[in-house]
Amino acid sequence: MNVTFPHMGTLHIVLKAMLTTLGVRAVPPPPISKTTIEIGARFSPETACLPFKTTLGNFIQALEAGADTILTCGGAGPCRLGYYATVQRDILRDLGYKFAMIVIEPDLASVWQSIRRLAPGGIRPLWPAFRLAGAKLRALDAIERAACRARPRAAASGDVDAERLRALAAVDEAATPAAAAEAVASSLRRLEGLPAGSGPPPLKVGLVGEIYVMLESGVNGDLVRTLGRMGAEVHPTMLLGDYVDTHILRDKAALRRSEAVAAAAAPFIGHYVGGHGMKSVGHTAAMGRTGFDGIIHVFPFTCMPEVIAKNILPVVSVQEGIPVLSLAFDEQTGEAGTVTRLEAFVDLLRYRRKRQETAAAAQKQLN
Amino acid sequence: MPPTVGIPRGLLYYYYGDVWSGFIRRLGAEPAVSPETTRPVIEAGGSVDEVCLPVKAFFGHALSLADKVDLLFLPRVVSVAAGHYSCPKIIGLPDIVRAALPGGPPLIAPTVDLRQGRRSLCRAIISAGQALGRSPLYSLYAWQRAWQEYRKPAAAAGKPAGLSRIVLVGHPYILNDRHICMDIGGKLAAMGMEVVTPDKADPRAAAQAAAALPKNIFWNYCRQLAGAALTFLAASPPPDGMIFLTSFACGPDSLVGEQLRRFAGRRGVPFLLVALDEHTAEAGLVTRLEAFTDMIRRRRP
Repeated sequence: MNVTFPHMGTLHIVLKAMLTTLGVRAVPPPPISKTTIEIGARFSPETACLPFKTTLGNFIQALEAGADTILTCGGAGPCRLGYYATVQRDILRDLGYKFAMIVIEPDLASVWQSIRRLAPGGIRPLWPAFRLAGAKLRALDAIERAACRARPRAAASGDVDAERLRALAAVDEAATPAAAAEAVASSLRRLEGLPAGSGPPPLKVGLVGEIYVMLESGVNGDLVRTLGRMGAEVHPTMLLGDYVDTHILRDKAALRRSEAVAAAAAPFIGHYVGGHGMKSVGHTAAMGRTGFDGIIHVFPFTCMPEVIAKNILPVVSVQEGIPVLSLAFDEQTGEAGTVTRLEAFVDLLRYRRKRQETAAAAQKQLN
Repeated sequence: MPPTVGIPRGLLYYYYGDVWSGFIRRLGAEPAVSPETTRPVIEAGGSVDEVCLPVKAFFGHALSLADKVDLLFLPRVVSVAAGHYSCPKIIGLPDIVRAALPGGPPLIAPTVDLRQGRRSLCRAIISAGQALGRSPLYSLYAWQRAWQEYRKPAAAAGKPAGLSRIVLVGHPYILNDRHICMDIGGKLAAMGMEVVTPDKADPRAAAQAAAALPKNIFWNYCRQLAGAALTFLAASPPPDGMIFLTSFACGPDSLVGEQLRRFAGRRGVPFLLVALDEHTAEAGLVTRLEAFTDMIRRRRP
């Protein structure tokens, strides 16, 4: 059984660890490229959202590379994601591919059934598989956070990116949870040791929106790295671990955090609208009160929950006094256009900070 | 003077509008439904970003009522059945209107979420009544009467009349808004076609057909459409063609439409997808319909 799965950021490292420990061969799709998006868009319904098209492209490329089983997720709405697998299976079958599809639906029986299919040698390796995958997940999140912090501070942001890639490879190779933790620890030390740059103190920018576009650099114009290079410290509100803690493990601290976000959203949005629409509003409001310079809101074009957030965020921006830039991504989005808009936004934030500093200095003199 | 309660003529108005009007009247207020959609209504609604045409039209209707009414009736319909949802934009509608219409009239926006059971509907009715100063019992009774009075029984399927039969699938807020759908039904009839719409399907058969699908379509209104389309396709002989009328950027339709195309293909029924937005030109639409109906006529033995 050669199992493939959709890409989302560094998720493939986690899934590969889990599947390999369970005793099946993992065939991650090739990294997302222009070709992936092109192939996916060609066979998708025209107004399906970008993650649908990109993951379909992943499947086609992986099936061409020898995968025979697709592992993906289901869902119960109201976001479109829950219906992806059904439509994608039909599209791939009509294209003539032969494969099995394992769809993990959000109920225990379905999860159990999927695990039985993925662990042909019995469930004995289940616990070590989850342990290794979990350790790698934490490791990857730690690297991502450290890289976001280091990029705007380093003399050469390229050093940070090189170190990040090295650390990702080390985590991918780690055979035990301890080895993964060790790879991160040494990588964090090296990041700390990088020579510091002489630029102004970094801007604090919050990244909110839809998880796939937020995490997948192959579709978001490598937004996190670009912002870092421009001197902004990016705080992604959703890394893999946040999602797993809140939605799968139902971790108490994570649930408390998401309740706080929902409370911050409540004056603006009165009900859960699917996906992360409510979180986008809540995080923006909360970050507006905690010293952030600006918010970038990203989502796939026509994403239903985020379109609601987009229409509400201007009000949040005014009331909380924080600039917000909403960016929609689809298969037509060009990197240069994204970079130009980010540059303009970062310039605005710098100007705003300078004006606030001047005002504060004048106030001090008056006193 | 009883207070005036505005009901924008859009989206779920096309499902429940009569019941809502009756309910508001029985609560002792004056319902005011906005007039039919016009171009200026849609242009005014265009200030809402990146949403589908029906939501823009809806906001245009809300705007046109804003300075004429004391309150706006805008229930948040999260779900009307267990396991199902409305589309996210319908769920978030009160928030969008509140954000885009600052200083507008207060909203009566009770939440209806029947995934949790019928009690949610009672709570919604009571809270709507409270906004108009009515007691819970009074409101529940008013709703009960309005529901009985205005709930129309589904019309039976029409008899085939020897004409080519086209199934026109689309949400009621598109098909019944003549400006949005550019009277596509009338145009097809003028081209000599017998047009059948989802509301003509037997609701029970449609529900069964939808339930037999491998995966539950969790958007309630799309599920009804798909079920109706499937019952028409299963009829013998099958219809001569199927047109799926959707609006650009409609999320649920983008995936369900793809499945409908496949169902139609399996039955050998020609399928045309028409996506509308505020830039759709009537001449272009007519050309496409003419081409489609010509093709259907030629296919007939």
